[in-house]
Amino acid sequence: MSDASAILRATEVHFAYRAGTEVLRGVSLSASRGKFLCLLGPNGSGKTTLLKLLLGVLRPGSGTIALEEKSLESYSAKELARKLAYVPQTPTSALNFPVRELVLMGRYAHTGAMGLPSETDLKIARLAMEMTESTDAADRTLEELSGGQAQCAMIARALAQQPGVCLLDEPTSHLDIRNQLKIYRMMRRLAHDWNMAVVCVSHDINLAGRFADELMLMKRGIVVAAGGPDDVIREELLRETYDVEIELIPTDEGPPVLRAH
Amino acid sequence: MDTSTNNAKSPITSRTLVVWFVVMAAATVVVGMACGVLGRIEVPLDEKLFDSPIWRLRVVRLSAAALVGVGLAAAGLALQGLLRNPLAEPYILGVSSGAGIGVLLGPSLGVVLHLAPWATTPVLAMVGALITAAVVYGIAQRRGRLDPYVLLLAGVIVNVFNGAVIMALMHFLKPDEIFKFVGWGMGQIPDWLWSQPSLIWICGGMIVAGWFVLFLRSAAMNMLSLGDDVASTSGVGVHRLRVETFVVVALMTSASVALAGPIGFVGLIVPHICRLLLGPDHRRLAIVAGFGGAMFLMLADTLCRLMSAWFQFGELPVGVITALAGGPFFIVLLRRRAKEGLG
Repeated sequence: MSDASAILRATEVHFAYRAGTEVLRGVSLSASRGKFLCLLGPNGSGKTTLLKLLLGVLRPGSGTIALEEKSLESYSAKELARKLAYVPQTPTSALNFPVRELVLMGRYAHTGAMGLPSETDLKIARLAMEMTESTDAADRTLEELSGGQAQCAMIARALAQQPGVCLLDEPTSHLDIRNQLKIYRMMRRLAHDWNMAVVCVSHDINLAGRFADELMLMKRGIVVAAGGPDDVIREELLRETYDVEIELIPTDEGPPVLRAH
Repeated sequence: MDTSTNNAKSPITSRTLVVWFVVMAAATVVVGMACGVLGRIEVPLDEKLFDSPIWRLRVVRLSAAALVGVGLAAAGLALQGLLRNPLAEPYILGVSSGAGIGVLLGPSLGVVLHLAPWATTPVLAMVGALITAAVVYGIAQRRGRLDPYVLLLAGVIVNVFNGAVIMALMHFLKPDEIFKFVGWGMGQIPDWLWSQPSLIWICGGMIVAGWFVLFLRSAAMNMLSLGDDVASTSGVGVHRLRVETFVVVALMTSASVALAGPIGFVGLIVPHICRLLLGPDHRRLAIVAGFGGAMFLMLADTLCRLMSAWFQFGELPVGVITALAGGPFFIVLLRRRAKEGLG
């Protein structure tokens, strides 16, 4: 998975929250524009930690993380925000901002210190809301929206940053099946139609296998497998990684569907 | 909340902010004038008003009240945003009492260094406020995360500790000074301020400058409400913003305390009412809550003067009124917050 077109690349990354217990033990990853990459693995495998390192929120103990061939640490907060955006697991505490303002807050790195929007900023915010089908919710606050709508608004906020890379942390973990499909389709479109590098931490192997271009399977801080869905969604591999009995049921189109026993 | 939805329809522009500034400034002047006219002694309501010595005394006192109100309300708003905790306020977190220790020590240091009290008092107040803020923050944070309950408890304990230090220091004062500081210890706009113009200028300057800095940080403060991770990946230097804001808040609090003692709950009540009426945007709130604090404290202080005239007793410290109003207010917020789950 190391090709020249990578926009975000982690090389041999080690990380420990506490000395002695490494959460990541030599992880490498590369995300390319136009590709939707899903990080899979059981709880505690280090997926979210890896995501935080990719975001620059945490710093690696050793190894490097490079964005467009430059170390993450060499970017200022605003420079980084113009290239890379993040969608958290659940919409956080800014529950009483109307969606329109929330999405405009995504323009912070592009506007002056007071965050006052120009015509361009308003246009981009509008586009981001259209893309995520949040236009109807513009005047409502996150509090007033369903979980699915709220997550769409949070994605719109991230898109308003006009990033080259979009990183998402289990964006569908609290959503019903219809909204799960919607968000996965959206992530795929961001990669394919908007030419972004999309990296998503996921617990849904079926959805990830169906929509992602690349999968990366982790366990206890190391990468167990990486590649296309066919390379990763394999009975033996998943059984060992998740430590449960697994059966793969072939489908007419796309990768096989997984059933755990 | 109809108001907030209405305001949401069009995004905030520089024009919106200028309009809010002008309207609130005008309202503050009007309220200030009205307060200046009221009182035990009547002032002439014609062109001779501005020459009246009573009017001048009242204007000095009202200006001090307005400045202190700005400082406390803006500092409270910033702390609430910074800590994502609606119960945060300089008085509750102990920053005010830390500044109070400095104020009590100010004159003594002045004697030692042969400096006027107006020069030493604000500096020592600042030191006290900064140390207290650092201690409370240090107790409550673990790996950069703040536990809201621990923060409040740390504030309570540090407040008790500082209160004891203040009591101990008062024992070294002369009897007539003790009386002066008893009122002050509760939070009072003192009458002797008119004889200390330098103190008003220095503290007022610090408050207004701090207010401006907080206003410039208000868009970043909005981002902070999205959580640290989203804020920092959206272009906000979160750690730097925290430290800077804490220092500015400590400075503004110390200036307020140097003028009027530790007045409580202004930083709680005013930002909350503003947020309730206008929604969560800190850019607008920074302006409105600042002026709101000025008006609130001018009105409260005038109420103290009027009550003393009506009931023929000595003036209540204004801190008594704000605490009587703020205590129940705090409980209501705490109950509501506990129901929603703190943290």
